[in-house]
Amino acid sequence: MSQRVDANAPADPSSATKAPHPLFRRRYLLPFALVLPIVLYEGLLIVYPIIQGIYGSFTRIELASSAATTWVGWDNYERMFSDPAFWKVIRVTLLFTALVIIVALTIGLLTALLFNRPFRFRPVARGMLMMPWAIPEVPVVMIFIWILSPQFGVVNILARMLPGVTKNPQWLQVPELAMGWMVLISSWKAFPFYSLVILAALQSIPQELYESARVDGANRLQLFWNITFPGIGSTLELLVVLAAIFSFKQFTIIFLMTGGGPSGTTETIVIRIFNTAFRFYDYSYATALGVAGFVVSLAVALVFILMQVRRAEESS
Amino acid sequence: MVARIEDTRTATSNLRARRIINSVLLYITVTVVSLIIVFPVYWMMISTFQPSKYILHFPPPLLPQELYFDQFGELFSEHPIAKWLRNSFLIAVMTMLLCMALSVLGAFALSNLRWPGRNLFGLFLLVTQMLPEVLILIPLYILYRRLNMLNSIPSLALIDAAFILPICIWILKGVFDNVPHEVLDASVVDGCTELGALWRIVLPLSAPGLAAVAVVAFFFAWNEYLYAGIMLSSGEFMPASVGLSTLKAIAQTPVEQYMAAGLVFSVLPVVFYLAMQRYIVSGLTAGAVKG
Repeated sequence: MSQRVDANAPADPSSATKAPHPLFRRRYLLPFALVLPIVLYEGLLIVYPIIQGIYGSFTRIELASSAATTWVGWDNYERMFSDPAFWKVIRVTLLFTALVIIVALTIGLLTALLFNRPFRFRPVARGMLMMPWAIPEVPVVMIFIWILSPQFGVVNILARMLPGVTKNPQWLQVPELAMGWMVLISSWKAFPFYSLVILAALQSIPQELYESARVDGANRLQLFWNITFPGIGSTLELLVVLAAIFSFKQFTIIFLMTGGGPSGTTETIVIRIFNTAFRFYDYSYATALGVAGFVVSLAVALVFILMQVRRAEESS
Repeated sequence: MVARIEDTRTATSNLRARRIINSVLLYITVTVVSLIIVFPVYWMMISTFQPSKYILHFPPPLLPQELYFDQFGELFSEHPIAKWLRNSFLIAVMTMLLCMALSVLGAFALSNLRWPGRNLFGLFLLVTQMLPEVLILIPLYILYRRLNMLNSIPSLALIDAAFILPICIWILKGVFDNVPHEVLDASVVDGCTELGALWRIVLPLSAPGLAAVAVVAFFFAWNEYLYAGIMLSSGEFMPASVGLSTLKAIAQTPVEQYMAAGLVFSVLPVVFYLAMQRYIVSGLTAGAVKG
């Protein structure tokens, strides 16, 4: 047994000359041998393209012709920062991300609180709650294209009930409406996930806290603010960051429903990158936009990780 | 004395009345909320299972008027949807196998072994899973073009597996963490090597976790749209996610066929995701929430 403990310690100089015990050697190398294929694989398909992308953003990439890529320095970035369209994309991205965080988390929290109450058929109801999350994005898009059809879409029945609406609106042609629907659809797809995570946090709050507070005469609101909210507070914080990451990544729903339109009002940075590269074939500029997106998502990911580390320290 | 008994009686009946009102309110709220949430799914069903003459009418009837099942046959004979589904299936199976093999190694190293660099490795996985896929689309596209790997199903599976592998490792790590340490210690005392312990003890005890990884990897590739659309531009290899997005409702494809296509594509992921939801959520939050 002691041999095994020693094997974990780094080899000290005095024993360096001795041939390592077979067990020692294997034990020390095994984890690295296990993760090596993973690191190589992710390195080749994720990290290497990122580095290529950063390099590419300083060059002029010509895919169509055989001309070699030429070094252009900061040109792509100068163009980006002086481009009003870029700042519009940033505004749209921030607006979309912030709205989805607020809407999806609010619905997630409210449904979690509701579905945490005991009632009959709760498992069935919870299963239904998870439906939007389980349906793939492309069918979600198909459903909503049909629901929002200006001719026959069922949502027009509701719209027509509003005073002053006599025609079916062009849901995806009006900037505010299009943005509203992108936020609603993305939130509808995402909220069950947040709801499930919040439900798990709610169930980890000890019931005795509620009982003793009730004995002390606390009312519902007080119970919520003093027990429930602190109990799920750190989970909510994490979910805000996670929701930021997920909604920042949202591509398929926006791309297939509006393509970024009308006139760029739903064009978030991921859509812009795609359009720049695969509609306008401006690969170098798209790569520079990609680097900008990379910096932002890396920053958010770091916030998430720091919060994780803090939580781990608190719980230990 | 009598008055006091009367008091308590009205008090208890008041309490009971309040309780009944509360529970009625709860049921009404739950019903309304559930109806709103599932309405789009209900509408997909309604639009699939009745002839479109009813639904191509404004305002459309909210309840089904007539059941109809020919749309599935028409869908498969008028569109290459069988080929699309086959392509999706192939991509998904390859992604799944690759992910399962690699995630077992990664999760075992992350969960059961102690080594310098373990935290760094976990961090590396966490960051890769959080990057938007579109950011490396262009460099990967250029790389694949150079290597002549466009329009190939295994090449796309390689990419899909790279994106979903970090989450799979995190899911499986959570499952491996639950293998009791005493069992592992006992196996080592009995002369089991680490890999022996993985094979004989950890894996058999983690069957649901492995199933979760299989589900996550399979349906990530099944659902994936962005890379599939760019890397498999030729019709021959088109998977269903891309194929479906080319259908145009009403104008080109009758509504009941259009919605039937969405339904056919969604059935498998919905069933399996709902069955495995706990594991999937734990992987996406990467141990943030102990559920």
